[in-house]
Amino acid sequence: MEHIRTPKVEKVRLLDRSTGQRKVSIGTLYLSATHTIFVENNPETRRETWVLHSMVSSVERPPSTPAGSQLILRCKDFRVFQILIPQERDCVDVHASLGRLSRPEKYSELYCLSFNPNANKEERQESWSFIDLMADYKRMGVPNNLWVSTAANSEYRVCDTYPSELFVPRSATPATIVGSSRFRSRGRFPALSYFHQDTLAAVCRCSQPLSGFSGRCQEDEVMLQAVMKSNPGSDFIYVVDTRPKLNAMANRAAGKGYENEDHYTNIKLQFIGIENIHVMRSSQQKIIDVGEMRSPSMTDFLWGLENSGWLKHIKAILDAGVFITRAVADEGVSVLVHCSDGWDRTAQACSVASILLDPFYRTFKGFMALIERDWVSFGHKFSHRYAHLDGDPKEVSPVIDQLLECVWQLSEQFPCAFEFNERFLIAIHTHVYSCQYGTFLGNCQKERRDMRLRERSHSVWPQLWKDRAEFTNPLYKAELSQSQGVLRPNTTPYCFKMWKGLYNHLEKSTPPRQSPADFLSAVREESQQLEEELTNHQERIAALTGRPITSEKIEVPRRRTRHLRYRHSGPDPPTFADPITSPAHENTRTLSSDPANQKAQTQDPPHPPPLGLQLAPEDLYLCSDLESGVADLSSRSSSAGDDGKDPDPE
Amino acid sequence: MEKQSGPAGTTDRAGPNRKLWGSPTCSPSAGDTPDSPTGSQVEWCKQLIAATISCQISRSVQPDVVNRDIKNHPSLGCRVQVKMLHNQVPLLPGETIQIIVKDVMYICPFSGLVNGTLTITDYKLYFTSVEKECPFIVDVNLGVISRLEAISSLPNQGENTKGLELICKDMRNLRFAYRTEETQPDVVEVLAKHTFPLSHNQPLFAILYKEQFPVDGWKVYDPAAEYRRQGLPNESWAISKMNSTYELCDTYPSILVIPTNITEDDIKRGALFRAKHRLPVLSWIHPESQATIVRCSQPLVGPSDRRCKEDEHLLQIIMDANAQSHKLTIFDARQISVAVTNKAKDGGYESESFYPNVELIFLDIPNIHVIRESLRKMKDVVYPTIDESHWHSAIDQTHWLEYIRLLLAGATKMAYKLESGKTSVVVHCSDGWDRTAQLTSLSMLMLDSYYRTLRGFQVLVEKEWISFGHRFSARVGHGDENHANSERSPLFLQFIDCVWQMTRQFPAAFEFNELFLITMLDHLYSCLFGTFLCNSEQEQAAKETQAKTVSLWSYINSQPEDFTNPFYVNYENHVLYPLVSSRHLELWSSYYARWSPCMRPQVPVHQTLKDLLILRAELQKKVEELRRESPSQSLFFSSEHSPAPPHATGTSLHTAV
Repeated sequence: MEHIRTPKVEKVRLLDRSTGQRKVSIGTLYLSATHTIFVENNPETRRETWVLHSMVSSVERPPSTPAGSQLILRCKDFRVFQILIPQERDCVDVHASLGRLSRPEKYSELYCLSFNPNANKEERQESWSFIDLMADYKRMGVPNNLWVSTAANSEYRVCDTYPSELFVPRSATPATIVGSSRFRSRGRFPALSYFHQDTLAAVCRCSQPLSGFSGRCQEDEVMLQAVMKSNPGSDFIYVVDTRPKLNAMANRAAGKGYENEDHYTNIKLQFIGIENIHVMRSSQQKIIDVGEMRSPSMTDFLWGLENSGWLKHIKAILDAGVFITRAVADEGVSVLVHCSDGWDRTAQACSVASILLDPFYRTFKGFMALIERDWVSFGHKFSHRYAHLDGDPKEVSPVIDQLLECVWQLSEQFPCAFEFNERFLIAIHTHVYSCQYGTFLGNCQKERRDMRLRERSHSVWPQLWKDRAEFTNPLYKAELSQSQGVLRPNTTPYCFKMWKGLYNHLEKSTPPRQSPADFLSAVREESQQLEEELTNHQERIAALTGRPITSEKIEVPRRRTRHLRYRHSGPDPPTFADPITSPAHENTRTLSSDPANQKAQTQDPPHPPPLGLQLAPEDLYLCSDLESGVADLSSRSSSAGDDGKDPDPE
Repeated sequence: MEKQSGPAGTTDRAGPNRKLWGSPTCSPSAGDTPDSPTGSQVEWCKQLIAATISCQISRSVQPDVVNRDIKNHPSLGCRVQVKMLHNQVPLLPGETIQIIVKDVMYICPFSGLVNGTLTITDYKLYFTSVEKECPFIVDVNLGVISRLEAISSLPNQGENTKGLELICKDMRNLRFAYRTEETQPDVVEVLAKHTFPLSHNQPLFAILYKEQFPVDGWKVYDPAAEYRRQGLPNESWAISKMNSTYELCDTYPSILVIPTNITEDDIKRGALFRAKHRLPVLSWIHPESQATIVRCSQPLVGPSDRRCKEDEHLLQIIMDANAQSHKLTIFDARQISVAVTNKAKDGGYESESFYPNVELIFLDIPNIHVIRESLRKMKDVVYPTIDESHWHSAIDQTHWLEYIRLLLAGATKMAYKLESGKTSVVVHCSDGWDRTAQLTSLSMLMLDSYYRTLRGFQVLVEKEWISFGHRFSARVGHGDENHANSERSPLFLQFIDCVWQMTRQFPAAFEFNELFLITMLDHLYSCLFGTFLCNSEQEQAAKETQAKTVSLWSYINSQPEDFTNPFYVNYENHVLYPLVSSRHLELWSSYYARWSPCMRPQVPVHQTLKDLLILRAELQKKVEELRRESPSQSLFFSSEHSPAPPHATGTSLHTAV
């Protein structure tokens, strides 16, 4: 609170560049302890825009103009707001306050520690046990006679960034583990990530060895031997170094490096060539710029896309996953994955491989468990990478963004294979940055335990699970063979697209987007209703006539998608139910009656409005309506002159 | 009513293909048939979908095998059941085998050498191999071949081995190696004779093709009926038979729509002022505002800035026919510099000072030579291998997407002017048969939902392209061995690509699917049907094409369910404005890159929906039945359960099933 210099500024103009609107709205700007809130003056709509402080990535103050002073707010979910404040003094105050508020210095300032989603203590505790990692290990058949639990790290004594519960080869003794951990960067010794029951091959992870040019360590060699022996089906293992070979060699000069194939018996070393976090950070900035370009030419766009290198990096990560998958599923060979510290690229590669290998990880619960395992428990440095606290900007990098994008690219290639849709991935992306829940806080398990986060905050997973109707992919069919078994994606360049849903806020609310998936949801729901009605009628006839029901029951592919909730802000593809089913001439009427309903829904947010929401009925109408791209002859006044049309493309 | 191919028919069709889909490696989704309610339908949908997008299923199947399915041979389509045994070539009615060559080597760019037998008929080239476990087939119709070339150097082959490369119009090249024997006539000679029949004074295969279809596609387009649908004639526009003998303009259709307030003499004199006498005539009229799309060719202004009173008068009348606006917009598809250069060649553009209240807009679309070159570069980029590290910049250097963007942007401007500005538009390029046809048909597609149906699209192509004299024969080069002819250009392909881009942005607005678009393109080259053979309506009439050949639409409309988009919802009265921003255009890789073995079939999104729609239709029927039944048995509860709105709308969707 002490950081807020001006809690309220009036007559502020706001332009939300990310929704693609060109209209400026005038209203009042409030600064609260957690949010920046903008309330429109227009008495009819009173549209509110909420931006969580932790979602703000930067606040710029370009030179003042005669109309007032400007602020440009860039958010971590790639939204951009332009704010014009009449008095320069106010602007300076807001700038300073926001600058401080968006850069908390202590964990205690974070939103999740003040955020209380009306849940009592029991519910909070339950929320933390929603995803049970041990249950997932059990699901993959661990522990067994090959892989056993080890207590070596129970008090984080061996490796402080590892979880306390780990699985290692049966033949690995505590001495071997400790010895191996001394030879590994940050003590991250080889441990089990995924066990493939069909072939008994495993995916293990660790960090780079401290080999330098000639160093070796007997325990580490024994450890790798043990990993190999835990797979009865093969006589060697792959060691996947996810770095470019050059980087790995450079590390040798610093006393680190990679495994020498002469020292280890029966290993095959494979480099993949995923670039480091610094390259990724600047690459992402470039693709954000491509997303923000205003009416780029074809050349600008294609060159921008290629020069960003982003899709190439995504491909490299998928390639790593594909390599591991082939080794495990086709060859039945275990794989040990590492990069430098084994918490960024290693997490990416292991996760992608798990998703390709095991259909479970393509479901809601599975994907949650995967992130909980490979990322949260294995010490991916969330707070550093996603700048939860004011810190070293060189530590920041979009590592999990890339995993989410890999999954998105996969879901484009295999639209029926994932239980969840793009919105789920975007929701996770948002929560990784938002600090609204304690799940992603801190840098490792030990830190979270020391902070007593389980007592002081909530887990995000039950919340996402509760909202799953909105996140469900209507095309998903668990029984479909495509959803089963191993995914073998095509990684030729033309299979990679720019993820417009995430990076291109500018246009995503304007395009005349018709989404087959949303359409499908609507049809499916309708079938459901029909079926219910059918049963109804049958029962009634049976009751009336006393005759048994004659017509046979029709089997419906059963996956209930209850009413899709109207979502905040522009990004989402429209729910199809309204525009698609109402005949053209009725459109205007539907629209006029609809905002009332939506208002009812949106005016009553379940909790303090979570992350930068926009609660605007007419905005909802815009995004839930096809008319953004389809003009209607019979009601031509309604949208004929819409800016979105881009009648004069430059 | 057109559902003559029930489950039995579908299995027949599936016959030859089943090997592919049924083999364990190929058909990943075969397992879920039994539990679905309409098993055979589902099975059939799967094949359809696979064929639609298809190229390749798994690494073990050769891409070229699957080509067969994209071609979707008409003979397999309806009733004729073709038995395909090993080494036996399936023949179309009227097709005859010309030569069979044994021990031919197919040099596959993806899997190396394959040894087999090559059969050449008067329609196709058919290569089979029994070397591998699953039969390997390359089936290419001769029409698609643009050029035959001998390969001089063949490594590791004997003295009397010759190499042959077929350069195709559909983005691929095929290479064969064969032994030469003196006793046998040379393969190349036979091949050339039938690939380029016109250069050898032979008829095109379309004339020999004897398939019978239950539907006559030549009846799809009836100009009078189409103009009646548009509400013509009316007080301002008349349907004229002035051109019934093609004397007024030999590349125009016989039936034209011209203003009522003008004399025949003025029309005749005005026509002389337009290139190739292609005077301004109506293409489409807005049902409410009466604003019109009018097409023509460039005015013959010449270096001395000639004027023509009648032409100016005609445009004035066209403007006056639309009471909503006192302006007229002329879209010149060319770049302004090109239009200026054309003045020197006796062409030119309308001067705004001679035509009052006329606004002239140049759309900057390049000419046929630029487009041809762009596609040639595209072929280099996508076939046979692609450069992984420079994919986007390589695509950019072809400029293909940029030209697609220009076309779509131009058509969108026209549609916008007409719809929102309520202003009539006149379109021309140089001769008014290439870019003009692209622009009018695209803007009509945006403005009029009828053209977005399966039938309507056929009418659109028949009207704006075929009847208005797009020079298909010259642009495609049917049966002509002069591959370097500068008249050739893939303008129709470019148009279909634009349509595809629109279907991507509005997946529910079009009744037809991707297979329909690809089938059209395949038969644009195949010379199997008479639809795309001629340069003009006059030529079509003179050659009696309609009597002597089969229409592509006969085939399409005999099995419309194959070409129907399950997502289709009829947006009547909706105007579509596609986004032409570069971020929203994509390379149509399922067409351009379809021969690549890593093109996987996309996943059956359509199929899931189709299942669901079928299911819903069934449920709906049941509910209706029950609803009818229940009030008859009791009256007292009928009020309680009135039909809910979703069901009413359901029926409208139902039609799409």
